[in-house]
Amino acid sequence: MVDDDPSIVAVITDILSAEGHEVVSAENGQEALAKVNGEALVLLDMRMPVLDGWEFARRFRASGKRSPIVVMTAAENASRWADEIGADGYLAKPFEMDALIAAVERHATRPH
Amino acid sequence: MTALELVSQLTEAIYVVIFLIVAWAALRRRTRTSLDIALFFGAIASFIVESRVVTTFGLQQIEFISDVVTILVIAMPYLLLRLVDDFSTVPLIANRLAEAGLLFSAIAFLASVGQPPTPIVLVIVVYFAALATYCAVKFIRAARRSSGVTRRRLDAIAAGTLLLGLTILIAGLMPLVPAAAGALDGLVQVLALGSAIAYVVGFAPPPILRRAWQEPELRAFLRRAASLPRLPDTPSIIRALQDGAGSTLGARATIGLYDRETNKLRFHDPHGVLPNEIGPSDYLVWRAFETQRPRYYADAARAHPALASSYREQGVRSLLIAPISAGDERLGALEAYTDHEPVFSQDDLDLVRLLADQAAVILESRSLIDEAARVRAHEEAARLKEDFISAAAHDLKTPLTTLVAQAQFLERRAVTEPSAPADLTGIRRIVLEARRLSALVVELLDASRLEQGKLVGEREPVDLVELARDVARRDGYQGRRITLSAEAPVVGSYDPRRIGQVLENLVENAVKYSPEDSEVRVAITERDGQALIDVTDQGIGIPASDLPQIFERFHRAANVDDRRFAGMGLGLFICKGIVEQHGGRIWVESRMGAGSTFHVVLPLGGVA
Repeated sequence: MVDDDPSIVAVITDILSAEGHEVVSAENGQEALAKVNGEALVLLDMRMPVLDGWEFARRFRASGKRSPIVVMTAAENASRWADEIGADGYLAKPFEMDALIAAVERHATRPH
Repeated sequence: MTALELVSQLTEAIYVVIFLIVAWAALRRRTRTSLDIALFFGAIASFIVESRVVTTFGLQQIEFISDVVTILVIAMPYLLLRLVDDFSTVPLIANRLAEAGLLFSAIAFLASVGQPPTPIVLVIVVYFAALATYCAVKFIRAARRSSGVTRRRLDAIAAGTLLLGLTILIAGLMPLVPAAAGALDGLVQVLALGSAIAYVVGFAPPPILRRAWQEPELRAFLRRAASLPRLPDTPSIIRALQDGAGSTLGARATIGLYDRETNKLRFHDPHGVLPNEIGPSDYLVWRAFETQRPRYYADAARAHPALASSYREQGVRSLLIAPISAGDERLGALEAYTDHEPVFSQDDLDLVRLLADQAAVILESRSLIDEAARVRAHEEAARLKEDFISAAAHDLKTPLTTLVAQAQFLERRAVTEPSAPADLTGIRRIVLEARRLSALVVELLDASRLEQGKLVGEREPVDLVELARDVARRDGYQGRRITLSAEAPVVGSYDPRRIGQVLENLVENAVKYSPEDSEVRVAITERDGQALIDVTDQGIGIPASDLPQIFERFHRAANVDDRRFAGMGLGLFICKGIVEQHGGRIWVESRMGAGSTFHVVLPLGGVA
C-alpha cells in the first residue's frame, strides 16, 4: 500500500494483517516503485509528495508489472482518477473497514 | 438684359434672401450675434431694395429714406466689426477707430449735397476696405480656432468679407479712372456676386452642406470613441470624452454622470462655476438634464442670474448642454462651455447632441463591460468557495479515514476476541487523529472568526525570539534545518497564541515547499520601535503572478500542485489577519526556484 499518511498506513496494515494478508507499505510513489515485487494488489493513494499516484501508475505499468491497482483517495473524483490511471477499482476515503476487506478480496490476484 | 445686369440682379436677390433668412433666425432666437447678423444684412438689403424701387418705378428719391439707407450702408463695416466682437475680442482702439470712421463718413455724406468731394470719398473707401480686411482676418483667425461646421462657415464668411471689401474698394476708386470704368464695373459685379455666394454659404448654409461638414469631425470623434469603453476606468473614459467633445466643438466640455441613488449629477472635473455634485436645482445643466432637452445659453450669466458673477469670473460665457441618455436610461449630461458666444449656436447644439448620444453609447458599453466583470468576479468567488469546500472536505476526510477504519477494527476485535488485551496502539491512533481533525476544524473556525474580527484576543508582553525558538525546536520538519538568528530578546505586546501561530505557519509553509536537507532561516530583529520577522526558505518559490493574491482566502499559487500539497489555503490568510489586527504588515519576496522570504513587521505596542 502506498500512502503518505502514516496513520492510514498503520491502520490498514493492522486490518489486512488480521485478515491474513501480508502488507508492504511505502509513503510515496518513488519508494513504492523501488519496493514492488510481484504483489497481488496495489492500494494507491493519489496525492503524495515526491511521486504521486498518476506518475507511479504510469511507471509501474511501463515497467510491465500487471498487479491490479485500487485507488484510495479523499478527493471527490475518486472514480475519475481511478479511470485516468486505468485502476481496477477505487475506495473513497473515508471507507468502511468491510469495504476495504471486500475490495482486497475481489481484486487481489490469487496466489498461484 | 446684359450678362452683367443679370449678375448684378442675381447678387441683389441673393443678398435680400440672406437677409430674410437671418432676420427670421434672429426673430426665432434673439441673441446678440443673430441680431448683429440681421442688422448687417438689413443694411445691405435696404440699400438694394431702395435703389431697385427707385430705378424700377422711376420714382423721385425720398430724401429721408435715402439718408437712412446711406447711413446704414456707411455703417456696414462697423456692423461687421460688431459681429466680429461677438465671438472674438476686438481691441478698444479698433472699435474707437471704426466709430470715428463711421462718424466721419456719415457727416461727410450728410453735409455734402450730392457726391462728396473726391478726397473724402477716397478716405471713406479706404476706411471701408481696411475695416473689411481687418474683419476678414479676424474671421479667418476664429475659423482656425473652430472646427467642423463652424470652421467652414467662418472660412466662407471671411471670403465673403474680403470680396465685399474689394468690391467696395474698386467701386469707390472707379470714378478716379473713368477710362477703365467699363472693365472695372464688370469686375465689381463679379466680385459682388462672389461675396454674395460666400455669405450664403457662411450665414445660411443649406442642411446638406452642414451634414457634409459635420461628418469628418464626427467620424474622427467616433474613431477615437471606439476604443474608449476599454479604458481602465470610468473617469478615464469621461476625461477622454470631454477632451474629444471639446476639440470637436472647439470649446471645453465637462460631463456629469447621473447617480440614481442620490439623484445627483456627479462631475469629475467641472469648470469653476459648477460644484462636483448637482442635485435638483436651478443649475442650467440640471434644467437640461431634468427636461431631457438640449439647451443653448448664449449668456449663462443672464440665464442664471444668481451665479452671474461666478460665470463672469470663471470666463464661462455660453453653454451648450445636452442630456446623455440611452433610451429611457438617464446617464448624465454633457456641458460644453466657451468664453465667447458661438457664432452658429444651432449647429454647435446639434453637434453637442450628437456627441452626447455617442457618449451615451460609450458609457452604456462601458457599464456592460463592468457588469460582465462583476459577473465574472462573482463566478470566480463562487468557484473559490467550491474549491475551498472540496479542499476542506479532503483534509477532513484524511483523519476520518483512520478514525473510521480503526474504530471498526477495534470493535470487531472486541466482539471476536473479548478477552484479548486492549489495543493501545490503535486507541492512541484514534486519539491522535481526533486531535488532528479538531485542529483542522479550528483552522476553519479561525478563518471565519478572522472575518468577523474576533480572532485576536488579550495581549501581553511576548518575547518573539523565545516564541520562535519554541517553533524551531519542534519535530516534524523532516530533515529541514530551522536556524534562528536573533541578537537580543524582542518584546512586544501581542496575543502570544496568535503570533505563535503566525510563526508556526510561516515555518511550516517554508518546510512544506522546500526540499529535504535545505535550510529555513528565521531572523528576529528590532528596529525603530518595530519588530521584524523574516522567514527564508530555499524552496520552489512563488510565481510573480500569484504574489499579490497569496494572502487571500483559498488562494493557492499556480505552481502548487494540488495533488502534492493538500491544504486548505487558509494559513496565510489567517496569518495576514492576525498580523494586521496587531497593527502590522506581512509581505513576501520570492524568486522562482530560489526560494521565498516572508517579512512581518509588528509594532512593539508600547511595551517597555
